[in-house]
Amino acid sequence: MSNAIKQSGAYLEIVSFHLGDQEFCIDIMAIREIRGWAPVTPMPHTPSYVLGLINLRGAVIPVIDMACRLGMNMTEPSERSAIIVTDIKGKLVGLLVEQVSDMMTIKSEDLQPAPEIIPEAQRSFCRGIVALEKSMVCFLNLDTVISDDMAQAA
Amino acid sequence: MAEMKNIRGLSVKQRLWMSGLAAFAGIATMIGVGWYEGASISAALTASTRIDAIDKKVTDFRVADVDLVLTAMDIIVDRGEKAVSPERTQRMEADIAVLKKGIDAVTAFASEHKLPIDPVKFKADVEQLASLIHDKLPALVTSGASDADFDAIDNQIDKMGDAIEEVITKVSVATNDSQNAEVSVADSKASQFVIVQILIGLVAALLAGGMIALQARNVINGIRDIRDSLNRITHGDHAFAIAGTTRSDEIGEIARSAEFLRQAMAEKENAEAAAEEARRSRDSERAANENDRRREEAEIRQCVDILAGGLARLAEGDLSLEIRDPFRADLERLRQDYNSAVQRLNGVMGLISNQSSSIHANSFQMRTAADDLAKRTEQQAAALEQTSSSLEEITVTVRTATNRAEEAGRMVESTKANAERSTHVVGEAMDAMGRIESASREIGNIINVIDEIAFQTNLLALNAGVEAARAGEAGKGFAVVAQEVRELANRAAGAAKDIKHLVARSGDEVKTGVELVAATGNALRDIGADVVAINEHMISIVQAAREQNTGLAEINSAIGRMDHVTQQNAAMVEETNAACHTLNEDTTKLEAVIAQFRLKESASNSAGMMPGYVNVHPATPIPPRAPVVTRTFAPSVAPANPGVQKPRVSPAQTLMGKLENAFTGNRKPAKSSTSTDQWEEF
Repeated sequence: MSNAIKQSGAYLEIVSFHLGDQEFCIDIMAIREIRGWAPVTPMPHTPSYVLGLINLRGAVIPVIDMACRLGMNMTEPSERSAIIVTDIKGKLVGLLVEQVSDMMTIKSEDLQPAPEIIPEAQRSFCRGIVALEKSMVCFLNLDTVISDDMAQAA
Repeated sequence: MAEMKNIRGLSVKQRLWMSGLAAFAGIATMIGVGWYEGASISAALTASTRIDAIDKKVTDFRVADVDLVLTAMDIIVDRGEKAVSPERTQRMEADIAVLKKGIDAVTAFASEHKLPIDPVKFKADVEQLASLIHDKLPALVTSGASDADFDAIDNQIDKMGDAIEEVITKVSVATNDSQNAEVSVADSKASQFVIVQILIGLVAALLAGGMIALQARNVINGIRDIRDSLNRITHGDHAFAIAGTTRSDEIGEIARSAEFLRQAMAEKENAEAAAEEARRSRDSERAANENDRRREEAEIRQCVDILAGGLARLAEGDLSLEIRDPFRADLERLRQDYNSAVQRLNGVMGLISNQSSSIHANSFQMRTAADDLAKRTEQQAAALEQTSSSLEEITVTVRTATNRAEEAGRMVESTKANAERSTHVVGEAMDAMGRIESASREIGNIINVIDEIAFQTNLLALNAGVEAARAGEAGKGFAVVAQEVRELANRAAGAAKDIKHLVARSGDEVKTGVELVAATGNALRDIGADVVAINEHMISIVQAAREQNTGLAEINSAIGRMDHVTQQNAAMVEETNAACHTLNEDTTKLEAVIAQFRLKESASNSAGMMPGYVNVHPATPIPPRAPVVTRTFAPSVAPANPGVQKPRVSPAQTLMGKLENAFTGNRKPAKSSTSTDQWEEF
């Protein structure tokens, strides 16, 4: 629903971050907070991309390694790593990223859909591609990213 | 007879002594008899004198006795006074003393002359009398005794006085008798001795007169005999025997002397007769010898003529002839001596001729050699001068080297100090580097903090952006601010990153600098050690230079001495040269002189010029002496076998060879051998 609203708006605000060599971005409105890396408490019997739990002002929230979730190598957490606390479907989830790189405002027209030759299952992760002058940024579909996870966790 | 011979054997002295002794014996006998006579009379008189003294004592005794008795009587008469007067007591005591003193003389005389007196009784009587008068009588007087007592003591005193009187009278008579007897003995002895003295005087006078007459006759007879004999000898009569030669006294000696005189006169006459005979026989002999002597003179003159001819030839220098005809037997030796002299001269002159030519050749060689020697000596002197100047240059150089070496030593010392200081500085530099490193580290930490702050700021800006975006339209301005803050944070982070890089580089550089500085420190330490070693070398160099200086001074003095010696050598060589020239000329003159003599080889044409002469026999040459060893002066005339005699090695050449070896190494032994050959030329 919200995505539709945003697409109808003239401008879209995003926050981009790095995972390895690739750059991704998410909608700013889904973000609650951005904070530095802090050690996590591991959870048993969780998928490998679920790193564990952190205490955010009394609330216990899970932390997901985005690189691992997106099929890349595990992120080596450092002081410069960041945890982006997002509100996905009313649930707070921490996403571990290598580095928060930028906060941008783009036009809706700049968001292009992913090519269709990619299979649907994989295509659902990506809401579109933002083509910048220097690079291309993948606009992640947080619902998809979390939904399966939630489904499996449930 | 035997007594006569003994008397004849006495000497005159002894005879005179005998006469004197006889007279002396007579006189001595008379004196002795007179002395004995005097002694006898003197003894008699002495005895008489002694008896006289005794007689006097006896008289004193008697007087004292009578006086004592009379005193006693006086005392008895005056007994009414009841006291003895002191005069009487004194007189009484004096008499008693005389009596007691005379007792011994009286008893001695009585015993000597055997008088019929009992000395004990006499002594007792005297004692009793003395006690009666001296003791009892005064006691009776003073006590006023009765008359009977006085009569009794008077009787006793009288009886004692009579007894003593009797004895004294006897003794007195005896003394008178003996005195008379002694006087008569002396008278008789005196008359007897007068007769004896007269008799002895007569006997002594006779004996002495006889002795003197006998001896005088004997001496006078002997002297008269000798006088007669000497008179006969004086008149030429030598054929008799002189009397008295057998006597052993002085006269006998005179007689023996006269006998010698007589025999000498006789022998002289015989000798004169024999001399006359011999003179006559010699005159006749001389006349016979005169003819023989004339004949001999003729023969001798002939020989002398021949000899004179030969000697004249000899004087002219002809040594080729000798005398052939034999001379008379006693002069034959002369001819033989002449012949042998000629032969000897011939041989000697031949030899001298040979030797003089040899000497001439040798002296020529010597002259050449002396010229060479002079040239070489000059060269040597020049070389020595060059050596001396070179040595002075070397001395200056060595002195400069010494100074430089000392200066270098001082510089090395300062370098050593600098190196030590540099080591210290390097240490400080390393410390400073360390401090820089730590400061860099602190800078890094601060940068980290800045970086952290920038990161956090970035996060805060992101969050602010997020919040602004969520605020929608109202947060737009805030979003811009947040974006600005984000950019600032990014710039700060970039600047911090740059600084971090710079600090890291600076740290690397500092590390490199530390290593370099440590290497520099090591290098400086090595330099310090090397400088110490250099210092030691410099010290030894300085010492060596000083020793060289001393050595050079010694060499200098040695060269001075060599120069002196060389100059002396040069002078001596000049003298030798002159002497050689003179020798050469003298040899030439000698040869000319020898050429004046005609020797046997050239004498054949003049043989037989004089009769009786003949050439010197060629079969009797003078044996030639051993050949003179001629020395070789030129190096071309080397010894036949040089291997036997090793050539002398010059010390100077050896030194030069050593020096050469020292500077160029052991590679040129051949040159030194050649130089020794050159040395041998001298």
